[in-house]
Amino acid sequence: MSDNIIIKAENISKVYNLRRQKTFKEFLPALFSGSDTRIKLNALSHIDFEVKKGESLAIVGRNGSGKSTILKLIAGVTKPSDGRITVLGQVAPLIELGAGFHPELTGRENVYLNGSILGFKKKEIDKLYNGIVEFSELRQFMDQPVKFYSSGMYMRLAFAVAVAETPDILLVDEILAVGDTKFQEKCLRRIKEFQKEGSTMIMVSHDLNMINEYCQKILVLDKGKQIYFGEVEKGIDKYQQLLS
Amino acid sequence: MNSLKKLRSNLKMMWDYRELLWNLAHREINQRYKQSVLGYAWVILVPLAQLIVMNFLFSIVLRIPSQGIPFIIFLAVALLPWNFFANSLSSSVNSLVSNSSLITKIYFPREILVYSTIIAKMVDFLFSCIALVIFFLVYKTTLTLTLFWVPLIFVIQIIFTTGLSLILAALNLFYRDIQYLLNLVVMLWMYLTPVMYPVEIVPEKYRFIFSLNPMSVIINAYRQTILGGGEPNYFSLTVAFITSSVIFAVSFYLFKKMEGEFADYV
Repeated sequence: MSDNIIIKAENISKVYNLRRQKTFKEFLPALFSGSDTRIKLNALSHIDFEVKKGESLAIVGRNGSGKSTILKLIAGVTKPSDGRITVLGQVAPLIELGAGFHPELTGRENVYLNGSILGFKKKEIDKLYNGIVEFSELRQFMDQPVKFYSSGMYMRLAFAVAVAETPDILLVDEILAVGDTKFQEKCLRRIKEFQKEGSTMIMVSHDLNMINEYCQKILVLDKGKQIYFGEVEKGIDKYQQLLS
Repeated sequence: MNSLKKLRSNLKMMWDYRELLWNLAHREINQRYKQSVLGYAWVILVPLAQLIVMNFLFSIVLRIPSQGIPFIIFLAVALLPWNFFANSLSSSVNSLVSNSSLITKIYFPREILVYSTIIAKMVDFLFSCIALVIFFLVYKTTLTLTLFWVPLIFVIQIIFTTGLSLILAALNLFYRDIQYLLNLVVMLWMYLTPVMYPVEIVPEKYRFIFSLNPMSVIINAYRQTILGGGEPNYFSLTVAFITSSVIFAVSFYLFKKMEGEFADYV
């Protein structure tokens, strides 16, 4: 692999084995009567793409086209059924913010918890803590349980933790649609800074303007199949053809 | 050789993730009693109430012998470790399912979720031992040197508990029936473990059930060593240690094998 490629997907496919029956009660009779207990779902088939360091990739496609599955594969939480994906570098997921938050814990406790889930050591979080609070603009709420936070505050804190340090690869899953415009702009500015520092962003979005502004490469998917991978302009054309 | 290498790299990884392990355990401990007035006192109050009612029932009503020791102490040295075992299992069985949002988002060794649950329950257990100390003081129980066996027995118990927890947590991810089945099994298991009675009153021909049950060996060993009944039965204890280690090794292996699919099924 050449030294500036950071993500390389080679002919990857992902098949989900969905169980038709959810409990023993349904499962046992099905087992004995010999009927099928599983359905196969081809979430992705034969996907090929590569991302160079510092490049950003947009993934577009209709609902259910396998966009989130690609993010999961990059994050390493699931493995491809076929093919190979290589990811070099530390991945910071920004998918569905606040997954690592606990409502009963205070903002401060959640920053430390979420930070350690993202792989930071306590000492590192100590150093980043002020920056996180500053970015989230939640200083006076840090000692309150996050269950009293509004969803916007929640999102701000989660984003602030995730972007506290420059990651090698940042995964963004349509989250920027939340929050007020002012904070959104702040997030986008931070993403710009990351890109300048050489981070790679993988973005799932429906916002074509944003894709044009932030990404150099685009991957167009339809029902798990790869329609196009390459330059943004051409990809957007393909995507619009797909929608019409 | 190969598996030894794997074990070493896993231990190293656990060391790298120690802060996450501690933070998750801390969350587990912290969140639970946050909105209660008595807070962490519940950890002592629950077994205390259990002990008082069970003492009345088994000692005064049913007159179960307790080898010349105040029944409540006889009961407490068995019930508290049993509670640790039962609570660990019933919490860890859900530890993966209840953290599904994490499992589908970010990679870290999944066994951390199970370990942190058990650590939280262990802290509960250590606090609940305050109740035991109170009874020791009230009844002026004299403790002997065999007490030094307790840490070893405790280690065996932890290996056994963790082994079972890993496999149950993983299976529950695929079949939610496991958690309901477990409640039933744990309840029946308690009756088949000499927690509320001495194993000596069991007819000889049924005793084999107890020697097959690692928890029974562990509970008996606690009772024997804490209450000055002499040294534990080395043979049973060795068997329990080997059984527990094998259970742990097998579950750990299966857990790691299934781990890659957790995010697809949760």
